[in-house]
Amino acid sequence: MSTDLSQLFELQVRLREAVLGSAAGNIVADILVDGGLEPAARLGIYRNHALATLGDALRQIYPVVCRLVDERFFAYATHQYLRARPPRSRCLVEYGSDFADFLATFPPCEGLPYLADIARLEWALESALAKREPKPLRADTLAAIPSEEAAYIALRLQPSLSYLASAWPIDAIWQANQLDEVPTVDLGCAGASLEIRSQGRTVVWRQLNSGTFAFRKSLADGRALAAALTAASLGDPAFDPATALRDVFAEGLVVGFAVSLDEDLEMTACDGQT
Amino acid sequence: MNGRRATANGCVGIGLRSPHVSQIAAARPQLGFLEVHAENYMAESPALDRLLELRRDYPLSIHGVALSLGSAEELDRTHLGKLKRLADRVEPMLVSEHLAWSAIGGVYLNDLLPLPYTESSLDFFCQHVDEVQQELGRQLLIENPASYLRFRQSSIPEPEFISEIARRTGCGILCDVNNIYVSAWNFGFDPIAYIEALASAPIGEFHLAGHHAAEAVDILIDDHGSRVTTSVWELYAVALKHFGPLPTLIEWDANIPPLEILLDEARHAEELAHEHRPVAAI
Repeated sequence: MSTDLSQLFELQVRLREAVLGSAAGNIVADILVDGGLEPAARLGIYRNHALATLGDALRQIYPVVCRLVDERFFAYATHQYLRARPPRSRCLVEYGSDFADFLATFPPCEGLPYLADIARLEWALESALAKREPKPLRADTLAAIPSEEAAYIALRLQPSLSYLASAWPIDAIWQANQLDEVPTVDLGCAGASLEIRSQGRTVVWRQLNSGTFAFRKSLADGRALAAALTAASLGDPAFDPATALRDVFAEGLVVGFAVSLDEDLEMTACDGQT
Repeated sequence: MNGRRATANGCVGIGLRSPHVSQIAAARPQLGFLEVHAENYMAESPALDRLLELRRDYPLSIHGVALSLGSAEELDRTHLGKLKRLADRVEPMLVSEHLAWSAIGGVYLNDLLPLPYTESSLDFFCQHVDEVQQELGRQLLIENPASYLRFRQSSIPEPEFISEIARRTGCGILCDVNNIYVSAWNFGFDPIAYIEALASAPIGEFHLAGHHAAEAVDILIDDHGSRVTTSVWELYAVALKHFGPLPTLIEWDANIPPLEILLDEARHAEELAHEHRPVAAI
Protein backbone atom coordinates (compact mmCIF):
# COMPACT_ATOMS: atom_id res chain seq x y z
CA MET A 1 0.00 0.00 0.00
CA SER A 2 1.44 3.38 -0.98
CA THR A 3 1.84 6.09 1.66
CA ASP A 4 -1.03 8.11 0.21
CA LEU A 5 -3.27 5.08 0.21
CA SER A 6 -2.34 4.09 3.74
CA GLN A 7 -3.01 7.64 4.89
CA LEU A 8 -6.43 7.51 3.27
CA PHE A 9 -7.12 4.12 4.85
CA GLU A 10 -6.21 5.56 8.21
CA LEU A 11 -8.46 8.60 7.59
CA GLN A 12 -11.35 6.32 6.69
CA VAL A 13 -10.86 4.29 9.87
CA ARG A 14 -10.95 7.51 11.89
CA LEU A 15 -14.11 8.64 10.12
CA ARG A 16 -15.66 5.22 10.76
CA GLU A 17 -14.92 5.53 14.47
CA ALA A 18 -16.32 9.05 14.51
CA VAL A 19 -19.53 7.88 12.81
CA LEU A 20 -19.91 5.09 15.35
CA GLY A 21 -19.63 7.80 17.95
CA SER A 22 -16.48 6.88 19.80
CA ALA A 23 -13.88 9.46 18.74
CA ALA A 24 -15.29 12.40 16.80
CA GLY A 25 -12.35 14.68 17.66
CA ASN A 26 -9.90 12.59 15.66
CA ILE A 27 -11.42 13.53 12.31
CA VAL A 28 -12.64 17.10 12.76
CA ALA A 29 -9.31 18.67 11.74
CA ASP A 30 -9.54 16.93 8.33
CA ILE A 31 -12.92 18.47 7.54
CA LEU A 32 -13.06 21.73 5.62
CA VAL A 33 -14.69 24.67 7.37
CA ASP A 34 -17.43 25.22 4.79
CA GLY A 35 -19.82 28.13 5.22
CA GLY A 36 -21.60 28.54 8.51
CA LEU A 37 -21.63 24.95 9.75
CA GLU A 38 -18.90 23.60 12.00
CA PRO A 39 -17.05 20.42 10.90
CA ALA A 40 -18.34 18.56 13.95
CA ALA A 41 -21.93 19.39 13.01
CA ARG A 42 -21.30 18.22 9.42
CA LEU A 43 -19.93 14.96 10.77
CA GLY A 44 -23.01 14.70 12.97
CA ILE A 45 -25.25 14.47 9.89
CA TYR A 46 -23.48 11.28 8.79
CA ARG A 47 -23.51 9.87 12.30
CA ASN A 48 -27.22 10.55 12.75
CA HIS A 49 -28.01 8.98 9.42
CA ALA A 50 -25.98 5.83 10.01
CA LEU A 51 -27.31 5.32 13.53
CA ALA A 52 -30.89 6.11 12.49
CA THR A 53 -30.99 3.75 9.51
CA LEU A 54 -29.33 0.87 11.35
CA GLY A 55 -31.53 1.53 14.39
CA ASP A 56 -34.65 1.53 12.18
CA ALA A 57 -33.60 -1.77 10.63
CA LEU A 58 -33.39 -3.30 14.12
CA ARG A 59 -36.70 -1.74 15.19
CA GLN A 60 -38.43 -3.38 12.24
CA ILE A 61 -37.02 -6.79 13.12
CA TYR A 62 -37.59 -6.45 16.90
CA PRO A 63 -40.91 -4.62 17.48
CA VAL A 64 -41.84 -6.65 20.58
CA VAL A 65 -38.41 -6.17 22.19
CA CYS A 66 -38.83 -2.45 21.47
CA ARG A 67 -42.27 -2.43 23.08
CA LEU A 68 -41.08 -4.33 26.14
CA VAL A 69 -38.25 -1.88 26.86
CA ASP A 70 -39.88 1.27 25.35
CA GLU A 71 -38.67 3.36 22.41
CA ARG A 72 -36.08 5.43 24.24
CA PHE A 73 -34.36 2.53 25.90
CA PHE A 74 -34.47 0.58 22.62
CA ALA A 75 -32.68 3.46 20.87
CA TYR A 76 -30.05 3.46 23.63
CA ALA A 77 -29.63 -0.33 23.49
CA THR A 78 -29.34 -0.38 19.68
CA HIS A 79 -26.71 2.38 19.76
CA GLN A 80 -24.69 0.39 22.27
CA TYR A 81 -25.15 -2.72 20.12
CA LEU A 82 -24.05 -0.87 16.97
CA ARG A 83 -20.90 0.30 18.68
CA ALA A 84 -20.13 -3.09 20.20
CA ARG A 85 -21.08 -5.16 17.15
CA PRO A 86 -21.25 -2.99 14.02
CA PRO A 87 -22.43 -4.65 10.80
CA ARG A 88 -19.90 -7.00 9.19
CA SER A 89 -22.11 -8.01 6.27
CA ARG A 90 -22.86 -5.59 3.47
CA CYS A 91 -26.35 -7.01 3.13
CA LEU A 92 -28.36 -5.25 5.78
CA VAL A 93 -30.91 -8.07 5.90
CA GLU A 94 -28.25 -10.09 7.74
CA TYR A 95 -27.71 -7.44 10.40
CA GLY A 96 -29.08 -8.07 13.87
CA SER A 97 -28.69 -11.85 14.03
CA ASP A 98 -26.74 -11.61 17.31
CA PHE A 99 -28.82 -8.86 18.92
CA ALA A 100 -30.29 -11.50 21.26
CA ASP A 101 -26.80 -12.53 22.43
CA PHE A 102 -25.98 -8.88 23.04
CA LEU A 103 -29.17 -8.31 25.07
CA ALA A 104 -28.45 -11.46 27.11
CA THR A 105 -25.26 -9.88 28.46
CA PHE A 106 -26.36 -6.22 28.45
CA PRO A 107 -26.41 -5.28 32.16
CA PRO A 108 -29.37 -2.83 31.99
CA CYS A 109 -31.57 -5.69 30.72
CA GLU A 110 -30.88 -8.01 33.66
CA GLY A 111 -34.37 -7.37 35.02
CA LEU A 112 -35.96 -8.84 31.88
CA PRO A 113 -34.48 -12.36 31.72
CA TYR A 114 -36.83 -13.39 28.88
CA LEU A 115 -35.88 -10.44 26.63
CA ALA A 116 -33.08 -12.22 24.76
CA ASP A 117 -35.37 -15.16 23.96
CA ILE A 118 -38.05 -12.79 22.65
CA ALA A 119 -35.35 -11.35 20.39
CA ARG A 120 -34.45 -14.90 19.24
CA LEU A 121 -38.12 -15.51 18.41
CA GLU A 122 -38.38 -12.25 16.44
CA TRP A 123 -35.18 -13.06 14.52
CA ALA A 124 -36.58 -16.51 13.67
CA LEU A 125 -39.82 -14.91 12.42
CA GLU A 126 -37.91 -12.41 10.29
CA SER A 127 -35.53 -15.05 8.90
CA ALA A 128 -38.35 -17.44 8.00
CA LEU A 129 -40.01 -14.80 5.80
CA ALA A 130 -36.80 -14.41 3.79
CA LYS A 131 -36.59 -18.13 2.95
CA ARG A 132 -38.04 -20.02 0.05
CA GLU A 133 -40.40 -22.97 0.51
CA PRO A 134 -39.17 -25.78 -1.73
CA LYS A 135 -41.55 -28.56 -2.70
CA PRO A 136 -41.63 -31.16 0.08
CA LEU A 137 -40.27 -34.66 -0.44
CA ARG A 138 -42.63 -37.64 -0.32
CA ALA A 139 -41.89 -40.33 2.24
CA ASP A 140 -41.78 -43.07 -0.41
CA THR A 141 -38.71 -41.43 -1.95
CA LEU A 142 -36.80 -43.02 0.92
CA ALA A 143 -37.89 -46.51 -0.14
CA ALA A 144 -34.96 -46.68 -2.54
CA ILE A 145 -32.51 -46.52 0.37
CA PRO A 146 -31.10 -49.96 1.30
CA SER A 147 -32.17 -50.81 4.84
CA GLU A 148 -28.57 -51.09 6.05
CA GLU A 149 -28.04 -47.45 5.11
CA ALA A 150 -31.28 -46.12 6.61
CA ALA A 151 -29.68 -45.18 9.93
CA TYR A 152 -27.27 -42.89 8.10
CA ILE A 153 -29.89 -40.82 6.34
CA ALA A 154 -29.87 -37.14 7.19
CA LEU A 155 -33.10 -35.39 6.26
CA ARG A 156 -32.87 -31.86 4.99
CA LEU A 157 -35.73 -29.72 6.29
CA GLN A 158 -37.53 -26.65 4.92
CA PRO A 159 -35.01 -23.77 4.96
CA SER A 160 -37.43 -21.50 6.81
CA LEU A 161 -37.75 -23.87 9.78
CA SER A 162 -36.23 -23.06 13.12
CA TYR A 163 -36.59 -24.64 16.53
CA LEU A 164 -36.44 -22.43 19.57
CA ALA A 165 -36.68 -23.50 23.20
CA SER A 166 -36.96 -21.10 26.11
CA ALA A 167 -37.45 -21.41 29.85
CA TRP A 168 -39.96 -18.54 29.50
CA PRO A 169 -43.42 -18.46 27.86
CA ILE A 170 -42.07 -16.36 24.99
CA ASP A 171 -44.95 -17.27 22.69
CA ALA A 172 -47.48 -15.91 25.22
CA ILE A 173 -45.38 -12.78 25.79
CA TRP A 174 -45.12 -12.17 22.05
CA GLN A 175 -48.88 -12.69 21.52
CA ALA A 176 -49.75 -10.40 24.42
CA ASN A 177 -47.66 -7.64 22.88
CA GLN A 178 -49.61 -7.73 19.63
CA LEU A 179 -52.57 -6.20 21.47
CA ASP A 180 -53.12 -2.53 22.27
CA GLU A 181 -53.73 -3.37 25.93
CA VAL A 182 -51.13 -5.92 26.99
CA PRO A 183 -52.72 -8.59 29.21
CA THR A 184 -50.81 -10.05 32.14
CA VAL A 185 -48.66 -13.04 31.25
CA ASP A 186 -47.89 -15.58 33.97
CA LEU A 187 -44.09 -15.85 33.79
CA GLY A 188 -44.23 -18.86 36.10
CA CYS A 189 -46.04 -21.03 33.55
CA ALA A 190 -44.23 -23.52 31.35
CA GLY A 191 -41.52 -22.47 28.92
CA ALA A 192 -41.76 -22.79 25.15
CA SER A 193 -40.53 -25.35 22.59
CA LEU A 194 -41.42 -23.75 19.29
CA GLU A 195 -41.33 -24.77 15.66
CA ILE A 196 -41.30 -21.70 13.38
CA ARG A 197 -41.71 -21.75 9.60
CA SER A 198 -42.95 -19.69 6.70
CA GLN A 199 -46.21 -20.64 5.04
CA GLY A 200 -47.13 -18.69 1.93
CA ARG A 201 -46.21 -15.12 2.75
CA THR A 202 -46.69 -15.39 6.48
CA VAL A 203 -44.87 -17.11 9.32
CA VAL A 204 -46.52 -19.67 11.56
CA TRP A 205 -45.37 -21.36 14.72
CA ARG A 206 -46.55 -24.08 17.04
CA GLN A 207 -45.64 -25.56 20.37
CA LEU A 208 -44.10 -29.08 20.21
CA ASN A 209 -43.89 -31.76 22.90
CA SER A 210 -40.38 -32.46 24.17
CA GLY A 211 -39.70 -35.63 22.16
CA THR A 212 -40.92 -34.16 18.86
CA PHE A 213 -38.96 -30.96 19.52
CA ALA A 214 -35.74 -32.87 20.27
CA PHE A 215 -36.18 -35.05 17.17
CA ARG A 216 -36.89 -32.20 14.74
CA LYS A 217 -34.23 -29.93 16.21
CA SER A 218 -31.66 -32.71 15.81
CA LEU A 219 -32.69 -33.13 12.18
CA ALA A 220 -32.50 -29.37 11.62
CA ASP A 221 -29.00 -29.41 13.11
CA GLY A 222 -28.03 -31.96 10.44
CA ARG A 223 -27.82 -35.09 12.58
CA ALA A 224 -28.45 -38.48 11.01
CA LEU A 225 -31.88 -40.05 11.42
CA ALA A 226 -30.82 -42.75 13.88
CA ALA A 227 -29.03 -40.23 16.09
CA ALA A 228 -32.02 -37.87 16.04
CA LEU A 229 -34.44 -40.66 16.97
CA THR A 230 -32.18 -41.80 19.79
CA ALA A 231 -31.83 -38.28 21.18
CA ALA A 232 -35.61 -37.86 21.20
CA SER A 233 -36.28 -41.27 22.83
CA LEU A 234 -33.77 -40.64 25.59
CA GLY A 235 -35.44 -37.38 26.59
CA ASP A 236 -39.05 -38.50 26.21
CA PRO A 237 -40.06 -42.11 27.05
CA ALA A 238 -43.40 -41.58 25.25
CA PHE A 239 -41.69 -40.68 21.96
CA ASP A 240 -42.81 -42.89 19.09
CA PRO A 241 -40.19 -43.00 16.28
CA ALA A 242 -42.55 -44.33 13.59
CA THR A 243 -45.14 -41.60 14.19
CA ALA A 244 -42.46 -38.93 14.42
CA LEU A 245 -40.97 -39.95 11.08
CA ARG A 246 -44.37 -40.16 9.39
CA ASP A 247 -45.32 -36.70 10.68
CA VAL A 248 -42.28 -34.84 9.34
CA PHE A 249 -43.20 -36.03 5.86
CA ALA A 250 -46.96 -35.56 6.31
CA GLU A 251 -46.39 -31.97 7.42
CA GLY A 252 -44.23 -31.25 4.38
CA LEU A 253 -41.12 -30.46 6.41
CA VAL A 254 -38.64 -32.62 4.47
CA VAL A 255 -37.20 -31.24 1.24
CA GLY A 256 -34.21 -33.52 0.69
CA PHE A 257 -31.96 -36.13 2.17
CA ALA A 258 -28.42 -37.34 2.05
CA VAL A 259 -26.98 -40.73 2.84
CA SER A 260 -23.45 -41.18 4.01
CA LEU A 261 -21.47 -43.72 5.91
CA ASP A 262 -19.14 -40.85 6.79
CA GLU A 263 -19.89 -37.98 9.06
CA ASP A 264 -19.91 -35.43 6.26
CA LEU A 265 -23.00 -36.85 4.55
CA GLU A 266 -21.81 -36.36 1.02
CA MET A 267 -22.42 -39.66 -0.68
CA THR A 268 -25.89 -39.40 -2.16
CA ALA A 269 -28.24 -36.48 -2.15
CA CYS A 270 -31.79 -36.02 -3.29
CA ASP A 271 -33.83 -32.85 -3.41
CA GLY A 272 -37.56 -32.44 -3.23
CA GLN A 273 -37.34 -30.04 -6.15
CA THR A 274 -35.78 -32.48 -8.58
CA MET B 1 -51.60 -5.51 -21.64
CA ASN B 2 -48.49 -5.35 -19.61
CA GLY B 3 -45.92 -2.76 -18.64
CA ARG B 4 -43.35 -3.62 -21.24
CA ARG B 5 -42.12 -0.70 -23.24
CA ALA B 6 -39.11 -0.27 -25.44
CA THR B 7 -36.20 1.02 -23.38
CA ALA B 8 -36.11 4.42 -24.99
CA ASN B 9 -33.57 7.01 -23.98
CA GLY B 10 -36.10 9.10 -22.13
CA CYS B 11 -37.77 6.21 -20.31
CA VAL B 12 -38.68 6.76 -16.69
CA GLY B 13 -38.61 4.14 -13.97
CA ILE B 14 -39.23 3.94 -10.25
CA GLY B 15 -37.37 2.30 -7.41
CA LEU B 16 -39.10 -1.00 -6.56
CA ARG B 17 -39.90 -0.98 -2.85
CA SER B 18 -41.46 -3.89 -0.95
CA PRO B 19 -44.80 -2.17 -0.09
CA HIS B 20 -45.50 -1.81 -3.83
CA VAL B 21 -44.39 -5.21 -5.15
CA SER B 22 -47.81 -6.93 -5.04
CA GLN B 23 -49.59 -3.94 -6.58
CA ILE B 24 -47.07 -3.67 -9.42
CA ALA B 25 -47.24 -7.42 -10.02
CA ALA B 26 -51.05 -7.27 -10.23
CA ALA B 27 -51.56 -4.01 -12.15
CA ARG B 28 -48.40 -3.96 -14.28
CA PRO B 29 -48.37 -0.14 -14.58
CA GLN B 30 -46.64 1.29 -17.61
CA LEU B 31 -43.07 2.13 -16.59
CA GLY B 32 -39.78 2.33 -18.46
CA PHE B 33 -37.95 0.20 -15.92
CA LEU B 34 -37.69 -0.80 -12.27
CA GLU B 35 -34.58 -0.15 -10.20
CA VAL B 36 -33.65 -2.24 -7.17
CA HIS B 37 -30.92 -2.12 -4.57
CA ALA B 38 -28.61 -5.01 -5.37
CA GLU B 39 -28.05 -5.94 -1.73
CA ASN B 40 -31.76 -6.75 -1.18
CA TYR B 41 -31.66 -9.54 -3.77
CA MET B 42 -28.32 -11.24 -3.21
CA ALA B 43 -29.77 -14.16 -1.23
CA GLU B 44 -32.01 -16.89 -2.63
CA SER B 45 -35.35 -15.66 -1.33
CA PRO B 46 -39.03 -15.21 -2.14
CA ALA B 47 -38.19 -11.54 -2.84
CA LEU B 48 -35.76 -12.60 -5.58
CA ASP B 49 -38.39 -14.95 -7.04
CA ARG B 50 -40.89 -12.08 -7.25
CA LEU B 51 -38.24 -9.86 -8.84
CA LEU B 52 -37.55 -12.50 -11.49
CA GLU B 53 -41.29 -12.61 -12.24
CA LEU B 54 -41.42 -8.84 -12.69
CA ARG B 55 -38.34 -9.10 -14.88
CA ARG B 56 -40.50 -10.73 -17.55
CA ASP B 57 -42.37 -7.45 -18.01
CA TYR B 58 -39.92 -4.74 -17.00
CA PRO B 59 -36.30 -3.94 -17.77
CA LEU B 60 -34.36 -3.79 -14.50
CA SER B 61 -31.65 -1.50 -13.25
CA ILE B 62 -29.39 -2.83 -10.50
CA HIS B 63 -28.25 -0.11 -8.10
CA GLY B 64 -25.53 -1.26 -5.69
CA VAL B 65 -25.18 0.57 -2.38
CA ALA B 66 -22.52 -1.42 -0.54
CA LEU B 67 -19.63 -2.25 -2.86
CA SER B 68 -17.71 0.61 -1.26
CA LEU B 69 -15.60 1.46 -4.30
CA GLY B 70 -14.05 4.38 -2.44
CA SER B 71 -12.50 2.31 0.37
CA ALA B 72 -8.69 2.52 0.45
CA GLU B 73 -8.37 -1.26 0.69
CA GLU B 74 -9.00 -4.34 -1.42
CA LEU B 75 -12.50 -4.69 -2.84
CA ASP B 76 -14.70 -7.24 -1.10
CA ARG B 77 -14.51 -9.99 -3.74
CA THR B 78 -17.28 -12.00 -2.09
CA HIS B 79 -19.67 -9.09 -2.37
CA LEU B 80 -18.58 -8.44 -5.93
CA GLY B 81 -19.23 -12.11 -6.72
CA LYS B 82 -22.77 -11.77 -5.37
CA LEU B 83 -23.32 -8.68 -7.51
CA LYS B 84 -22.11 -10.55 -10.58
CA ARG B 85 -24.37 -13.51 -9.84
CA LEU B 86 -27.37 -11.20 -9.52
CA ALA B 87 -26.49 -9.28 -12.68
CA ASP B 88 -26.06 -12.53 -14.61
CA ARG B 89 -29.48 -13.71 -13.47
CA VAL B 90 -31.57 -10.61 -14.11
CA GLU B 91 -29.65 -9.24 -17.13
CA PRO B 92 -30.23 -5.62 -16.13
CA MET B 93 -30.28 -2.70 -18.54
CA LEU B 94 -27.99 -0.79 -16.15
CA VAL B 95 -25.71 -1.54 -13.18
CA SER B 96 -24.68 1.37 -10.99
CA GLU B 97 -22.73 2.17 -7.83
CA HIS B 98 -21.55 5.27 -5.97
CA LEU B 99 -18.64 7.65 -5.76
CA ALA B 100 -18.41 6.93 -2.04
CA TRP B 101 -17.34 4.38 0.54
CA SER B 102 -19.34 2.58 3.21
CA ALA B 103 -17.04 -0.08 4.67
CA ILE B 104 -13.50 -0.10 5.99
CA GLY B 105 -11.54 -2.67 7.96
CA GLY B 106 -14.39 -5.20 7.92
CA VAL B 107 -17.06 -2.85 9.33
CA TYR B 108 -20.01 -1.77 7.17
CA LEU B 109 -21.67 1.53 8.07
CA ASN B 110 -24.71 1.46 5.79
CA ASP B 111 -24.04 5.03 4.71
CA LEU B 112 -22.45 6.58 1.65
CA LEU B 113 -19.45 8.40 3.06
CA PRO B 114 -17.40 10.95 1.14
CA LEU B 115 -13.76 10.54 0.18
CA PRO B 116 -11.09 13.16 -0.39
CA TYR B 117 -10.69 13.93 -4.09
CA THR B 118 -6.95 13.62 -4.74
CA GLU B 119 -4.70 12.14 -7.44
CA SER B 120 -4.12 9.04 -5.34
CA SER B 121 -7.80 8.49 -4.48
CA LEU B 122 -8.58 8.93 -8.18
CA ASP B 123 -6.01 6.23 -9.04
CA PHE B 124 -7.35 3.58 -6.69
CA PHE B 125 -11.01 4.43 -7.35
CA CYS B 126 -10.33 3.83 -11.06
CA GLN B 127 -8.60 0.54 -10.23
CA HIS B 128 -11.70 -0.56 -8.32
CA VAL B 129 -14.01 0.44 -11.19
CA ASP B 130 -11.77 -1.48 -13.64
CA GLU B 131 -11.90 -4.54 -11.38
CA VAL B 132 -15.70 -4.43 -11.14
CA GLN B 133 -16.24 -3.90 -14.87
CA GLN B 134 -13.88 -6.76 -15.62
CA GLU B 135 -15.70 -9.06 -13.21
CA LEU B 136 -19.17 -8.09 -14.41
CA GLY B 137 -18.13 -8.05 -18.05
CA ARG B 138 -20.08 -4.86 -18.57
CA GLN B 139 -20.09 -1.14 -17.99
CA LEU B 140 -20.77 0.26 -14.53
CA LEU B 141 -22.35 3.66 -13.88
CA ILE B 142 -20.97 5.76 -11.03
CA GLU B 143 -23.31 8.10 -9.16
CA ASN B 144 -22.29 11.50 -7.80
CA PRO B 145 -23.04 11.64 -4.05
CA ALA B 146 -25.03 14.07 -1.92
CA SER B 147 -22.52 15.44 0.59
CA TYR B 148 -22.50 17.26 3.90
CA LEU B 149 -18.74 17.60 4.42
CA ARG B 150 -15.62 18.07 2.32
CA PHE B 151 -12.05 17.21 3.21
CA ARG B 152 -9.17 19.66 3.46
CA GLN B 153 -7.09 17.17 1.45
CA SER B 154 -9.32 17.41 -1.65
CA SER B 155 -7.64 19.04 -4.63
CA ILE B 156 -9.93 18.03 -7.52
CA PRO B 157 -13.48 19.37 -7.98
CA GLU B 158 -16.08 16.59 -7.87
CA PRO B 159 -17.43 16.92 -11.45
CA GLU B 160 -13.88 16.75 -12.79
CA PHE B 161 -13.08 13.81 -10.53
CA ILE B 162 -16.07 11.75 -11.67
CA SER B 163 -15.57 12.74 -15.33
CA GLU B 164 -11.95 11.62 -15.13
CA ILE B 165 -13.02 8.25 -13.66
CA ALA B 166 -15.28 7.81 -16.69
CA ARG B 167 -12.53 8.86 -19.10
CA ARG B 168 -9.97 6.45 -17.62
CA THR B 169 -12.18 3.42 -17.04
CA GLY B 170 -14.90 3.75 -19.66
CA CYS B 171 -17.56 3.65 -16.97
CA GLY B 172 -20.73 5.70 -17.26
CA ILE B 173 -21.96 8.44 -14.95
CA LEU B 174 -25.25 8.28 -13.10
CA CYS B 175 -26.13 11.95 -12.79
CA ASP B 176 -28.17 12.32 -9.59
CA VAL B 177 -29.81 15.69 -10.08
CA ASN B 178 -31.11 15.89 -6.53
CA ASN B 179 -27.64 15.12 -5.15
CA ILE B 180 -26.14 17.95 -7.20
CA TYR B 181 -28.78 20.31 -5.86
CA VAL B 182 -28.30 19.18 -2.23
CA SER B 183 -24.49 19.36 -2.34
CA ALA B 184 -24.60 22.73 -4.13
CA TRP B 185 -26.82 24.11 -1.39
CA ASN B 186 -24.72 22.61 1.39
CA PHE B 187 -21.41 23.95 0.02
CA GLY B 188 -22.64 27.06 -1.75
CA PHE B 189 -21.66 26.23 -5.33
CA ASP B 190 -23.64 26.72 -8.53
CA PRO B 191 -25.45 23.48 -9.50
CA ILE B 192 -25.68 24.52 -13.16
CA ALA B 193 -21.91 25.05 -13.30
CA TYR B 194 -21.52 21.52 -11.85
CA ILE B 195 -23.66 20.09 -14.66
CA GLU B 196 -21.69 22.05 -17.23
CA ALA B 197 -18.43 20.70 -15.79
CA LEU B 198 -19.53 17.04 -16.14
CA ALA B 199 -18.34 15.11 -19.18
CA SER B 200 -21.41 14.70 -21.38
CA ALA B 201 -20.80 11.46 -23.25
CA PRO B 202 -20.60 9.10 -20.24
CA ILE B 203 -23.89 10.24 -18.65
CA GLY B 204 -26.12 7.16 -18.74
CA GLU B 205 -28.92 7.77 -16.25
CA PHE B 206 -30.57 10.45 -14.13
CA HIS B 207 -31.81 10.07 -10.58
CA LEU B 208 -34.51 12.28 -9.09
CA ALA B 209 -35.61 12.26 -5.46
CA GLY B 210 -36.89 14.42 -2.63
CA HIS B 211 -34.87 16.07 0.12
CA HIS B 212 -35.67 18.06 3.22
CA ALA B 213 -34.21 21.00 5.09
CA ALA B 214 -32.46 20.12 8.35
CA GLU B 215 -33.77 21.68 11.54
CA ALA B 216 -31.90 24.68 12.91
CA VAL B 217 -29.04 24.56 10.37
CA ASP B 218 -28.98 25.66 6.74
CA ILE B 219 -28.38 22.19 5.31
CA LEU B 220 -30.40 20.04 2.93
CA ILE B 221 -30.67 16.33 3.69
CA ASP B 222 -30.99 13.86 0.83
CA ASP B 223 -33.53 11.51 2.39
CA HIS B 224 -35.55 10.29 -0.64
CA GLY B 225 -38.61 10.79 1.53
CA SER B 226 -40.81 13.23 -0.38
CA ARG B 227 -41.73 14.50 -3.85
CA VAL B 228 -39.05 15.98 -6.10
CA THR B 229 -38.87 19.71 -5.32
CA THR B 230 -39.57 22.43 -7.87
CA SER B 231 -35.91 23.49 -7.83
CA VAL B 232 -34.78 19.95 -8.64
CA TRP B 233 -37.31 19.65 -11.48
CA GLU B 234 -35.84 22.88 -12.86
CA LEU B 235 -32.33 21.49 -12.56
CA TYR B 236 -33.51 18.28 -14.27
CA ALA B 237 -34.69 20.42 -17.19
CA VAL B 238 -31.20 21.95 -17.35
CA ALA B 239 -29.64 18.48 -17.30
CA LEU B 240 -32.00 17.29 -20.06
CA LYS B 241 -31.08 20.27 -22.18
CA HIS B 242 -27.41 19.60 -21.57
CA PHE B 243 -27.25 15.81 -21.85
CA GLY B 244 -30.46 14.95 -23.72
CA PRO B 245 -33.13 12.52 -22.49
CA LEU B 246 -31.76 9.45 -20.68
CA PRO B 247 -33.28 6.74 -18.47
CA THR B 248 -34.54 8.57 -15.38
CA LEU B 249 -35.38 7.13 -11.99
CA ILE B 250 -37.77 8.37 -9.32
CA GLU B 251 -36.17 7.28 -6.02
CA TRP B 252 -38.21 7.10 -2.83
CA ASP B 253 -36.80 5.26 0.20
CA ALA B 254 -38.30 6.84 3.34
CA ASN B 255 -41.96 7.61 4.18
CA ILE B 256 -42.88 5.48 1.18
CA PRO B 257 -46.15 6.82 -0.31
CA PRO B 258 -48.89 5.02 -2.28
CA LEU B 259 -47.66 3.76 -5.65
CA GLU B 260 -49.86 6.31 -7.45
CA ILE B 261 -47.68 9.18 -6.14
CA LEU B 262 -44.55 7.57 -7.61
CA LEU B 263 -46.33 6.97 -10.89
CA ASP B 264 -47.40 10.61 -10.89
CA GLU B 265 -43.80 11.75 -10.36
CA ALA B 266 -42.69 9.39 -13.13
CA ARG B 267 -45.29 10.88 -15.50
CA HIS B 268 -43.99 14.38 -14.79
CA ALA B 269 -40.40 13.30 -15.48
CA GLU B 270 -41.58 11.66 -18.71
CA GLU B 271 -43.27 14.87 -19.85
CA LEU B 272 -40.11 16.87 -19.25
CA ALA B 273 -37.95 14.26 -20.99
CA HIS B 274 -40.41 14.27 -23.91
CA GLU B 275 -39.96 18.01 -24.34
CA HIS B 276 -36.23 17.47 -24.73
CA ARG B 277 -36.39 14.68 -27.28
CA PRO B 278 -34.14 15.28 -30.25
CA VAL B 279 -36.20 16.27 -33.29
CA ALA B 280 -36.06 13.56 -35.94
CA ALA B 281 -34.46 14.51 -39.23
CA ILE B 282 -36.90 14.86 -42.10
